[in-house]
Amino acid sequence: MIEKQADVVVIGGGIIGISLAYGLSKQNAKVLLIDKEDPLLTASRGNFGLVWVQSKGEGMPEYVEWCIEAADKWPQFSENLETETGIQLEYAKNGGLEIWLGDEEYNTRVNFIDKMRKQSRSGTYDCEMLKTKELQEMLPEIKLGEEVSGGSFCPHDGYVNPLNLVKAMHKGFKLSGGNYYSGQSVTNIEFLEPGFRIHTENNSYIAEKLVIAGGLVSKKLGKMVDIDVPVGPERGQVLVTERTKKILPFPATRIRQNFDGSFLFGNSNEKVGYNIETTSEVMKKIAIRAIRTFPYLKNLQLIRSWSALRVLTPDRNPVYVESKTCPGAFAVTSHSGVSLASVHSSNLGEWIIEGSHQAKFEVFHPRRFDVPKTA
Amino acid sequence: MSPLEYDYTIIGAGPAGMAAAITARQHGLRVLILDEQHNAGGQIFRNIEGIEKNLNSEYRKLGDEYKSGWSLVKEFKKCGADYFSERSVWQIDKDLGIHHVSTNSKSFSSSIPSYIKTKNLLIAVGAMERPMPLPGWTLPGVMACTAVDALYKTSGLVPDKDVILAGSGPLLLLIACRLLDAGVHISALLDTNQRFAILKASPFLPQALRSFSYLKKGISMMQKIKNAGIPIYTGIKSIEALGKSKFEKVRFKNGTEFIELSAGMLLLHNGVVPNIQITRQLGCEHRWYELQRYWEPVADDWGNTSLDGVSIAGDCGKISGSSISELTGNLAALDTVYKIGAISKVKRNQFSQPHRKELSYHKAVRPFLDKLFQPGKSWLIPEKKETIVCRCEEVTVNDIRQAISMGAQSPDRIKSLVRCGMGPCQARMCGLTVSEILADARNISPEEVGYLKIRSPIKPITLGKLAEID
Amino acid sequence: MFRKLHKNSETIKIWFEGSSLDVEEGQTVAAALLSEGYLFFRNSKISGQPRAPYCMMGVCYECMLEIDGQSSQQSCLIPVREGMNIRRQN
Repeated sequence: MIEKQADVVVIGGGIIGISLAYGLSKQNAKVLLIDKEDPLLTASRGNFGLVWVQSKGEGMPEYVEWCIEAADKWPQFSENLETETGIQLEYAKNGGLEIWLGDEEYNTRVNFIDKMRKQSRSGTYDCEMLKTKELQEMLPEIKLGEEVSGGSFCPHDGYVNPLNLVKAMHKGFKLSGGNYYSGQSVTNIEFLEPGFRIHTENNSYIAEKLVIAGGLVSKKLGKMVDIDVPVGPERGQVLVTERTKKILPFPATRIRQNFDGSFLFGNSNEKVGYNIETTSEVMKKIAIRAIRTFPYLKNLQLIRSWSALRVLTPDRNPVYVESKTCPGAFAVTSHSGVSLASVHSSNLGEWIIEGSHQAKFEVFHPRRFDVPKTA
Repeated sequence: MSPLEYDYTIIGAGPAGMAAAITARQHGLRVLILDEQHNAGGQIFRNIEGIEKNLNSEYRKLGDEYKSGWSLVKEFKKCGADYFSERSVWQIDKDLGIHHVSTNSKSFSSSIPSYIKTKNLLIAVGAMERPMPLPGWTLPGVMACTAVDALYKTSGLVPDKDVILAGSGPLLLLIACRLLDAGVHISALLDTNQRFAILKASPFLPQALRSFSYLKKGISMMQKIKNAGIPIYTGIKSIEALGKSKFEKVRFKNGTEFIELSAGMLLLHNGVVPNIQITRQLGCEHRWYELQRYWEPVADDWGNTSLDGVSIAGDCGKISGSSISELTGNLAALDTVYKIGAISKVKRNQFSQPHRKELSYHKAVRPFLDKLFQPGKSWLIPEKKETIVCRCEEVTVNDIRQAISMGAQSPDRIKSLVRCGMGPCQARMCGLTVSEILADARNISPEEVGYLKIRSPIKPITLGKLAEID
Repeated sequence: MFRKLHKNSETIKIWFEGSSLDVEEGQTVAAALLSEGYLFFRNSKISGQPRAPYCMMGVCYECMLEIDGQSSQQSCLIPVREGMNIRRQN
């Protein structure tokens, strides 16, 4: 087998990997993307499709800023990608909601917003609380349930069809001269000082730079180049309805309506290891919450469901790291791959190729998880 | 025992399910049987009670095999099993909790959906038509042959204009004869079987002669069709259904020439395959049956699947027809009766002996039939790339091939790129075709390629009903 | 498209798209509508292509109709009942 050579090899063809590969190839790097396509571990196919700022980054103001930068860049990113590939992303940015049931949830949110405002470097946090009446005015075609105590609205939020997004970036990657190899499982990585030789079962690839974006597999891959990628699985289940009349103009974290009229309902956060089954208990919980929010939904027919494993770091925020002993090897992980696609395909690529923005990404280094030794 | 807990739950009230219920009840088990249809009988004996009562003239035409179903249904009705008709199973939990819902949900007065627990489960949901995608097959007026057969049995309806039949398989012949008896004008039969298929199947003929009655029946059906003067086109190459907003005519290639024939309806049939939706959702192991190009759940000779407490019987295990279905239903039930402690192993083996003997008689013809009616490649993978494969989402052969050229190596990856299998039917109509196309593109067996992941809800359920489950 | 092989006197009244139909008891909604000459049941949600029942056994989902206010029901599985209100979903 002929060894393949490139400027950069990206391991992992999910949303993170393809965003990076696409961005790098648009920055004129010669990029190879290798992907195993493991059905248990593909998180990108289980995505809810939110392009989101609200609720993220508690304890890490730099991450909030990063999310806002990504959200600001998304409309142009989307337009460019659609024009380039002809694939409709079904993206809309009109702001997003979290809908609260009962006073306790409402008050918890008020406190959270206050906390986020205090931690921010700008002294602001773009999320406003809405009482039930104001919230209902935003949703003239669908009535809120009686227990709804209000909502929080963030103007940065939006939504997209995540499957089309991944598909479009793959197409864009190919059009920019990128090469994608699926069915490849990495067995070993050699550090060539400089550069890397990546071995899969039947092939090998050489590149100056290596990016590990393998989701839950990144932990194992990172060890091969002396990077600690502390990720673990968290299951989420989603329910999908038949296509129906469009009535919900804003996405909420647990309920949104696709361009085609079908509704998606989430979410669950389950620590069940490497298990992607759907369970009646969780499905029931999701259904109950959805109906408490909008009673109208109770007669919609559910036709399918999915379940996938989120790739989570201990604080749920991204990890961007370059190996110290094997410079040129990077690892990128985040469970907000969709929201960050706009910056993963631009800023992050620049960091990988040129080393710029390094200081900006220091805060995302995994050393932040090291438990400090007591004196 | 609480009212909603059973020793033995059977899904499907066709010949396999009914036979299993009768046998289990004979040994005192607490039995529940769930079925989607209004009446018991499955597909083969569909609406047998209704026909006997209301359409007696048709009933008499339907032949002895059908009539044997009548006594089976009668015995089933008095065996003492709990029987919930018009019930769709939408999820089975790993601990064999079964969630089911009425097929008819009235919007504001819905009955509470039900959940039952069972110690043992028998899946006897039967078969479904093998998808036969061809250009124009989504046109109104193109239907599955077995659909028209069902309309005849449940409602005494027959096509009022002439019909063209296309495909291959014993059921195609059977239904053609049935339509003839009902006075329907069949203007052509397009036989998609390979020419000289009988030569290929001949090595299995000696064994098949052991169940000579099947062969005799087959020969007499073919003779009847010939005697009726129906034009039969054999070894045809491609079929297209044409029409503006409904079917008007069929266009096919016979040798080198194209022929167009108008008709009122086009009826398709390319054999039947096990309905594996439930066994897939449960997570049973499946294996590929190469000769007839379908997946079947892996099971031992009592029907036990790879999951404890779950067995299969009838056509959802392997396509074999109603006689074998009844016998495998009896065997599965006997094994369960033994497992539950109502009879000893010795008794189980003793009681099963006559069933096994009869089984070997009926099974003798299967290799011959399976080889004779082996589906041809051009009917598994449409040649025209604009042909719709996934009817729900209108995904074409071309869309699927494009997804493969983008690097998709699994059916689920193809699904994420082009949406095949995401619609209401949840891949029942397209799943096999997707795997065939991918296997063909990668030059490996469909067994290696696998099948789309099947999840609950197995049947649609409203959000409201889901919120109310136990 | 279809004709009955027999005459049956026991009919019930159902409603389809606002018109009343007298149909035989004991048959499914899909069969009843086909016997009354209604072939096209729905439009494909992708292209709007007209669709009609294909399998008559609950596999193809082409027969989906709104019945008594509940959307997307498989009409080939549901027996007709007196006063039933059936509509297409477009």
